[in-house]
Amino acid sequence: MEPILTKYVKQPGGASLDFYMKVGGYEGLRKSLGMTPDQVVDVVKQSGLRGRGGAGFPTGMKWQFVDKKSPKPKYICCNADESEPGTFKDHVLMERNPHLLFEGCLIACHAIGAKVAYIYIRGEFYHVQQVLERELAKARAAGLVGKNIMGTGFDCDIFVHRGAGAYEAGEETALIESLEGKKAQPRLKPPFPAVAGLYDCPTAVNNVETLCNVPFIITEGAEAFAKLGPEKNGGPKLYCISGHVKNPGVYETSMHTTLRELIYDPKFGGGIRGGHQLKCVIPGGSSVPVLLPEQLDIPASFDGVASAGSMLGSAGLIVMDETTCMVWAAQNLLYFYKHESCGKCTPCREGGDWLHKLLMKIERGDGEMRDLDLLLSVANNIAGKTLCAFGDAAATPVLTTIKTFRAEYEAHIREGRCTLPASWRASHPVLAAH
Amino acid sequence: METVTLTIDGKPVTVEKGKSVLEAVIQSGGHVPYYCYHPGLGVDGSCRVCIVKIEKMPKLQTSCSTPCGEGMVVTTNSPEVEAARASVFEFLLVNHPLDCPVCDKGGECPLQDFSYSYGPERSRMAFERRTFDGEGVKADIDFGPTLMLNRNRCILCTRCVRFMKEVDGDAQIGITNRGVHSEISTFEEKGVVSLLSGNLMDVCPVGALTTRDYRFKSRPWDNPNAVDTICTLCEKGCNTTAWIKAKPEWAKGTQLIRTTPRLNEDINSYWMCDIGRFDYHWIEGDRRINQAHMNGNVTSWEDALVSVKDAVDAVGGATHAQFLVSGHASLEELFIIKQFAGNTGGVTFSWRHRVKPQPADTKFKIPAVDAPNLHGAKDLGFNTATSGVANISALQSAVDAGMVKLLYVLDPGPDGTLGDVEWVIAARKAGKIKTLIVQAVLHSALTAAADILLPGCAFVEKDATYTNMTGHVQGAARVITAPGEAVEDWQILSKLSVVFGVNVTYSSSAAVRVAIAQALGANPAYAGLATMTFSRPMSAKSWLQASNPSERWKWDFMFQDLPPIKFGDDFGPTPRANVIPMKEVK
Repeated sequence: MEPILTKYVKQPGGASLDFYMKVGGYEGLRKSLGMTPDQVVDVVKQSGLRGRGGAGFPTGMKWQFVDKKSPKPKYICCNADESEPGTFKDHVLMERNPHLLFEGCLIACHAIGAKVAYIYIRGEFYHVQQVLERELAKARAAGLVGKNIMGTGFDCDIFVHRGAGAYEAGEETALIESLEGKKAQPRLKPPFPAVAGLYDCPTAVNNVETLCNVPFIITEGAEAFAKLGPEKNGGPKLYCISGHVKNPGVYETSMHTTLRELIYDPKFGGGIRGGHQLKCVIPGGSSVPVLLPEQLDIPASFDGVASAGSMLGSAGLIVMDETTCMVWAAQNLLYFYKHESCGKCTPCREGGDWLHKLLMKIERGDGEMRDLDLLLSVANNIAGKTLCAFGDAAATPVLTTIKTFRAEYEAHIREGRCTLPASWRASHPVLAAH
Repeated sequence: METVTLTIDGKPVTVEKGKSVLEAVIQSGGHVPYYCYHPGLGVDGSCRVCIVKIEKMPKLQTSCSTPCGEGMVVTTNSPEVEAARASVFEFLLVNHPLDCPVCDKGGECPLQDFSYSYGPERSRMAFERRTFDGEGVKADIDFGPTLMLNRNRCILCTRCVRFMKEVDGDAQIGITNRGVHSEISTFEEKGVVSLLSGNLMDVCPVGALTTRDYRFKSRPWDNPNAVDTICTLCEKGCNTTAWIKAKPEWAKGTQLIRTTPRLNEDINSYWMCDIGRFDYHWIEGDRRINQAHMNGNVTSWEDALVSVKDAVDAVGGATHAQFLVSGHASLEELFIIKQFAGNTGGVTFSWRHRVKPQPADTKFKIPAVDAPNLHGAKDLGFNTATSGVANISALQSAVDAGMVKLLYVLDPGPDGTLGDVEWVIAARKAGKIKTLIVQAVLHSALTAAADILLPGCAFVEKDATYTNMTGHVQGAARVITAPGEAVEDWQILSKLSVVFGVNVTYSSSAAVRVAIAQALGANPAYAGLATMTFSRPMSAKSWLQASNPSERWKWDFMFQDLPPIKFGDDFGPTPRANVIPMKEVK
């Protein structure tokens, strides 16, 4: 499939407004402003566009839920807090194709009756902020953002807000809290943001890639978008392939593509590095269950990956070869999760840290066999009992690696060391306790 | 009232629409634990121990944050719920220091109580616990002028954060850092500076926040008796519980050890201010007047009373005597004064007016008038203002003009609550007042200048009634016995009434109240005064149900053996033995 979102990302100057206008930029916005907001929502609904942030919730439906009758202002929040380990697609779009995002934001605002869109980028995206601010100023000067856009009387502004560096800010209500100047901690739901979001006003929170798909849907139509992929999984999709592949990077293709193609096809990952064998792959960012080599002949679509017992999530494929110690991998991920837990609710705050300590103990070679059951029990006690999905995400690496590679854990505990013939272990000694 | 009906553990329960499942469980007498939920604060949903199973919902839900729905089917005690709940309790204790033996909250600690009831039998945590400011006593750090903080014990329920934000109006407390390193803190570690800070100790479900006043002074089982009463230090009339510490066998009497707020939605909700909470040391302090005095020398009651008569006669009769009365005088005392007031030169009321520094949008405003009964005085027919600064200029000019030969001061309140008295002392020294009689509780410059000094009782030493700023007639109970030869103020005035031309004879303060109810029969607020009952110290058996004050209502509703006796109003029937009378919470 020809790239649509990332067609010009390698073009020098491709991020500029001039270039974007040359290749038909803001035509989707122009067309959408000729439509009623309900028509825009309908087209997006018909296209079957599903949120690219992780949950795959239909975008049209999300916009429809926004309480249009409310006398309060409405807001679009673009979730650009791309923090999931193994995920790096949104920052490519923002850095190399910022006007596509602006256009998507403006169309979304038109669709839900918002006058303001906030782009919430993660704290570490300093360079992305520079690009966004620069291009936003140009778009504003060109009358594409601000008052009376394209002479149609439509007013809409876009603001870029850089967070303070918290994974939890990617949770939509935590993002809203952070935007309001508070700590990035999730809110109770209900009420959902569509009813009471930013400043208690109806709000739609959409991922960067999701919004970037909207201009295409408007210009080319819902059907053209839907038929790019399998049923209910239409449109182009960005995949972030990382780990032990020959060509790590961001690839845009349709969701017909299988996971095996993504890993082995020379157009994409290009196979496993240096003659090694594939051990497993985490298909959707660090928060989803691992898949084994024999499970890869499935479309890399939301429904395809779900049928194999995992999730497409944010489409961050973390590929691991046979030298990867799964105890180390789980410990590495749990370090991340315990570090990023916002601390609001008990199971995630206390349990995440406990899991990490247990994994460190096994990594150090001090593990006992009963620690395995304890790990499983603690992880199961976190999953499903937390305020937001973070708890499930933090429990998953432990649950999935023990389920799939229990023997490796047992060997680790029995031998008191990593049993894998991996030369890199020498240069990656066990981290000191944090 | 719109209602919804749901099923909780097989029982149909009907509650007001909008109530949460947890509130419905509590209302129906069910058992579900909670930490972050507090009835006086907003819902947070973070502690996760109130999780229940609700049919048609895939995951367990926190009952505090789930509104009741028509036909909802809730299960609070299935094996699934019990296991999940136990797992959260295990998490709560993973980093808790478990220093219960030396923790002030021990014995009245919701974390203890609920862990005992719902937690797993043992912990599987084998790692070193996280500590913040050090182990043991090092963990106790300053948290403002009234509080101490122990972060190791904190379970991050954020009740204190929400109290400061929602009730106090000045969000001084926040949580810094993240995840397992989250900690309660204030800006630049300055601690909490607020007149409502004591409530933070109440809302804290663990021993993380303790008051400097009470910490290490007593344990719950050393306070075998508690008395429901009211605070009289200002015109608000907060409902409180006075706690009595048992002294060792060889020491006589008891000791007032702390005061905590008691729910009254109309007056103080769940809260009280630090003035009422911490300003009680004067009651059992060294400056109490234990005996009658004449010209600075101890005398007997008989001699003192006779000398009052002599003094009144010497100035030419009651018409030459004037009364200066504190706003702390109770209805009983004022009612007796009222009966002979016409024979005297006049009655003037005085009080202290202090504007308390509070955030502008606080939900708990502390009034500026430090007088609990000005509205009562007004209702009894005295000509007095009930707000603002006391106007005593008429009395002052009369004294200046030498028209007041005898001044009788009634001052049953603590230091300074009579307002400015320097002019009285000066007038007595200058001889403008021939005789100064003071009926008071504390030795002061005023009592030193008095010719005759009569020892009265503080508000916790007498059954007395007061009408607060909103017209609520409430009773302050006798919690402890008065020191020395001090006598209830209404009795002193009753005995002296004949001196002022009226022979008042009441057998008890209750008899005075019956008379007040008759006299003020037209005012419905006073209708119940005739049958007013006062709480008495409860035996040790009841301390558990009256445990941690902020959780008090929980015990009343959830865990006591006997159903609570509910009152329709403040003046219900005499409570059954050993059950703390309480206002019905609808």
